[in-house]
Amino acid sequence: MSASLVTMLGVGAGFLLLLLLCALAVERGLVPTRVTRHPLVTTLALGVYASAWAIYGSLELAATAGYGYLTYYLGVAGAFLLAPVLLVPIQRMVRTHQLASLADLFAFRYRSRWVGSLVTLISLLAVLPLLALQVQTMGNAIYLMTGAASPASLALAFCLLLALFDMLFVGRRRIDGRHDSLLAVLALSSLIKLAAMLGLGAFALFAVFDGPASVQAWLEGPGQAHQASVVQTDPAHWRSLLLLFFAGLMMPHIFHLVFTETRSRHTLLQASWALPLFLLLMALPVPLILWAGQALEAEAPLGVAYLAFGLSDSLALQALAFLAGLAATGATTLLIALALSRMLVNHVFLVAHPPEAQQDLYRWLQWLRRGLVLAVVLGGWLFYRVVGLNHDLTSLGLAAFVGMAQCLPGLLALLYWPGANRKGMVAGLVAGVLVWLAGLWLPLLTGLPALVLLPPGLEVLAGEPDWYVVTLVSLATNALVFIVVSLATPTSEGERAAAEACSVDAVIRPKRLPLEAANGEEFKARLARALGESVASREVDRALDDLGLSPLEGRPYALRRLRDRLQANLSGLMGPSVAQDIVDRYLPYRQGGPGATEDIHFVESRLEAYRSRLTGLARELDGLRRYHRRTLARLPVGLCAFGEDGELLMWNDALARLSGIEGASVIGSRRDGLPAPWGELLGRVLESEAPQLYKQPVTLAGTTRYLSLHQAELAGEEDEPGGRVILVEDHSEMKWLEDELVHAARLASIGQLAAGVAHEIGNPITGISSLAQNLRYDTDDPEVLQTAEQIQQLTDRVSRIVSSLVGFAHGGRHLPDRPLDRVLLAEVVDEAIHLIHLARSGDDIRFDNRCPAEAGVEGDAQRLLQVMVNLLSNARDASRAGDGVTIEARVEGDGVRLDVIDQGSGIDEGVRDRLFEPFTTTKPPGEGTGLGLPLVYTIIAEHHGRLDVASPPPGHAHGTRISVWLPRHQKEGETPR
Amino acid sequence: MYVYRLMLFLVLGGYLLSPLMMSGWGSPGVAWYRPFVIWGVLIALTLWLEQKRKLDER
Repeated sequence: MSASLVTMLGVGAGFLLLLLLCALAVERGLVPTRVTRHPLVTTLALGVYASAWAIYGSLELAATAGYGYLTYYLGVAGAFLLAPVLLVPIQRMVRTHQLASLADLFAFRYRSRWVGSLVTLISLLAVLPLLALQVQTMGNAIYLMTGAASPASLALAFCLLLALFDMLFVGRRRIDGRHDSLLAVLALSSLIKLAAMLGLGAFALFAVFDGPASVQAWLEGPGQAHQASVVQTDPAHWRSLLLLFFAGLMMPHIFHLVFTETRSRHTLLQASWALPLFLLLMALPVPLILWAGQALEAEAPLGVAYLAFGLSDSLALQALAFLAGLAATGATTLLIALALSRMLVNHVFLVAHPPEAQQDLYRWLQWLRRGLVLAVVLGGWLFYRVVGLNHDLTSLGLAAFVGMAQCLPGLLALLYWPGANRKGMVAGLVAGVLVWLAGLWLPLLTGLPALVLLPPGLEVLAGEPDWYVVTLVSLATNALVFIVVSLATPTSEGERAAAEACSVDAVIRPKRLPLEAANGEEFKARLARALGESVASREVDRALDDLGLSPLEGRPYALRRLRDRLQANLSGLMGPSVAQDIVDRYLPYRQGGPGATEDIHFVESRLEAYRSRLTGLARELDGLRRYHRRTLARLPVGLCAFGEDGELLMWNDALARLSGIEGASVIGSRRDGLPAPWGELLGRVLESEAPQLYKQPVTLAGTTRYLSLHQAELAGEEDEPGGRVILVEDHSEMKWLEDELVHAARLASIGQLAAGVAHEIGNPITGISSLAQNLRYDTDDPEVLQTAEQIQQLTDRVSRIVSSLVGFAHGGRHLPDRPLDRVLLAEVVDEAIHLIHLARSGDDIRFDNRCPAEAGVEGDAQRLLQVMVNLLSNARDASRAGDGVTIEARVEGDGVRLDVIDQGSGIDEGVRDRLFEPFTTTKPPGEGTGLGLPLVYTIIAEHHGRLDVASPPPGHAHGTRISVWLPRHQKEGETPR
Repeated sequence: MYVYRLMLFLVLGGYLLSPLMMSGWGSPGVAWYRPFVIWGVLIALTLWLEQKRKLDER
C-alpha cells in the first residue's frame, strides 16, 4: 500500500493514453507500414489471449495444480500448431465471405439468422465470467497498491475509464474493415505485459533466488513443505483442460483477432510457432514468482493470485505487477467489447430491426456499437459485482471456457462433416449449454451447488470436480445429440451448398442463374431501397472496384460475381444473415427461367487459384484438366461453347484472334449480348437444326469474310452440365480461290467465245474490207471513194476490237514459259482506255495518257494490259463526273515508273493497309469483288516490279496516286510489240 | 500435405502424452525447468516443419 489512488488512476489513464497515441500514430502513417504489417506485430497482438488469467490466475492455479497451470497456454498453442489444417481453412472461409465472428460463421454455414443469434447469446453468457475476471483482478490490484476505497468501486472506475477508451477507439475504426491500429495497440499491450512478467520472473530468479540452481536447491530443500499442498493434475483433468483452452480459440475476441484481423495465411502459419514461443515466455516466470513468494513467506491478503505484489515493498516492482495486469486486462476488455458489440449488432439488433433505407447507415451503426461497447464493459463489471466477488479466478475462467467449448462440435462439423445440419447443431448446442448453465454458470450466480445429472454408466465421475464433470457431460451430450439429430433430419438445399462451401478441400460450385438487375446502376437503384442512396451507391462502387468491373457491365457472369461480392461486403458490415436477406430481397434471381446449372467458368477460376494447394490424385486430375483446357484454348480453329441456358462458357484463342474480342470480356455473356456480328451469327447456327452452316458472309473490321460454323450438342449425362459447342472456321481464302477459279474459267470461256466470234466475224469483215478496196479501184467518184475509205476504217476498227477482246481474255492466265518482250507503256495505256470505253462507262471521265512513246518495260503485254484495265477502272469508279485521270511514266533507276493519278474520293485509312488483300473493297456491296488489286499485285510481283499507293498524293487535298515500278527493257534494237 | 500429417501426429501425441512429460512439480531429482525445455523443443520442431512447408510450396 505504497501508492496513492490518484497515482494509480494516473498510471491507468497514462497507459490508455499511450495506447491511444499508438493508434493515432499508426492511423496517421507515422509508423511505417512494413512495421505495422509485420507478422511479428500480429503474433504479439495474438498474445491478447494471455489475459489477466495469465498474470494472476496462473499463479492461483499453479499453487494448487502445479504444472496444470500450463494447460492454459498449451491448449491454445496446440490450436496454433494445427494452423494449416484448422485455422487456415477457417481463415479462408472468413475472408471469402467476409465473416467477422463465430456467429457469422455459424449463421453462414447453418443458413439461419437464429443460429447466429444463439451463438451470440452463448458467447455473451460465456464471456461475462471472463470479463468479470478482468474486472476483479484490476479492482484487487489497485486496492493492493493503494488500499483506498473498496475493490468494487475501484473496479467500476477502471471499467468506466476502459469503456471511454473503447468508445473512442470504435469511433476511429472503419466500421467494416480490419485495422492496423488495433493490431498495433494490442501488440504494444502484449509487449508491455511480457516485459513486466519477464521483469518479475528475473527479480524472482536472481534477486530472491540465486539463479536456476538455487531454485532447484530450494525446491528440493525448504520448498518441499510448500509443495505438499500441490495436487498433481490428473492426466484426464489435464487433457480436459487442454481441450477447454484449445476451444478458447472460439472466444469472441480471439476469433475476431485470429481470423478477421490477421492479414494472411502466411502470418497465421508463422504464428503457429511464434505464439507458442510468446506464451512460453509468459508462462516461465509464473512458478518462479510463486516459489519466490513462498520462499519469502510473502503476504497475499487477496489470495495467492496476487503474490507478485508481496515480493517486495518496492513501488517499482509492484508497479510492474500492476502494469502486467493492466496491459492484459486493458487489451482483453477492449477486444472483447469490440468483438461482442459487433456480434450483438449483427445478430441481435439488425436481425430484430433490419435497416430499411436508414439515413447514414455507417454513422447509425457506429453509434449503436459505441453504446454496446459501454454496455458490454459495464455488464462485465455488473457480473463481477454480483458474482465475481465470491469466486476465485479459476472458477470464473473455467466457467467461461466450458461455455465457449460448446461451440466446438459445431465448428469441427462445419469443417469436416458436410452431413451436419442446422437442427442437429442447434439441438446439440442447446443441450450442451443447458448442462453448462445448470452445472457451472447458474451456481456461480446463485451460489447453489452444481446441478449435473450423470447419465447411467458415468457414475464413476461422481467425486470429480464440477468443472470436469460438466465439461465431459455437456460436450458428450452436445456431440451425441448433434450427430443423432443431424442423421435423423433432412438437410435443406441451402445448407448443403453452404456445407460444401465450408468443407476443407471443397471448391465452391455456385449455380448459374440470371439476375433481375441488368447492370451496376440497377444494382444501386435496387439496393437504395434497403440501404439509402448514398450507402448503396458506395457499396456497389466498392464492389465494382474490387472486381475491376464497369458500372454498365451486363454479363450475367459478372453480375453474379458482383452480387456475391456485395453480399460479402455487406456481411462484413452487418453480418451474413442480414446481408443475405437484403441481397435475396433486393437483388433476386430471375424466376421461371431454365433450371440452374453449375457455374463452370467460376469453378475453373477457383481451381486455378487453389492449384498450389492440391495434392495427390486431385493434383493429377487437375493436371489433366489443364491439359485438355489448353488443348481447346490453343486449337488453331475458333471454338466457343454455350451452356444450356445460352450463356457463353468458352471462347478460345483462335476465335479471339479472328473476332478481335478477348475471351475475358465476353465469357459469361448471353448469346444476344455478344458484340455484332457474333450474336446474330452464332444465333443463326444455334437456332438452326443443321449441324453446320457453310461460308456465312460476315463483315469483320470492314472486310467481308466467309465463316463456316459447325455445332455439336454437349449432351449432359446425369448430373453433368450440357450445352452446345461451336467450331468457327475462316473459309475466306478458300472462297477467294474459288472465285478466282470461276473468274479464270469465265475468262477462258470469253476467250473461246471471242475466238469463235473473231473467226465468224473476221471472214465477213475481211470480205467487206476487200469489197470496199475493190470499190475504190472501180470508181473515181470522190463521194463513193470517201464512203469506201470510211467502210475500210470501220472494218479495221471492228477487227481491232475483236482482237483486243481475244487478247484480254487470254491474258488472265500466267504462262511461266512465255518470254518477256519489250512493252511500250503508252500503247498499253491507250488500249486499256479503249477497252474501258467499250464498257460504255467512264465516258464522262477524261483519261489523259502522258506516257512517253518510247517508255518501254520488260513484260507480258496481255498481263500488263490487265493491270492497266484494273487500275484505270478503279480510278474511274473513284472519280466524279468531269474529273480527269492522268497516266504518267518516267524512267526511274533501272526501271520505269508509271503513275495513275485520279482526283476522286481517296482510300480510307482503315483499308489502306489491307488494300492488296483479297476481298478488300471500298465500293458498295455488289459493285466490287475486292479481287482487282490483289490480281494487280500478283502480276506486278511476277514482273519483279513493285506497287506504291499515296492517298491523297503529296501536295493534293484529295485523290489517289497508284505508282507501278517495272524493270526497263534493256535489249537494244528489239522490235516493239 | 505430408508435413501437415506429421504435425497432426505431433499434436495428437502431445495431447495424449503431455501429462507424463509435464509431471514432477517440485519433485526431487526433476529439474524445475524440464517442461519448458520440452516445450521449447516442440517450438523448434514446429519452426523446422514450417520452414520445410515453405520450401515444399515454392
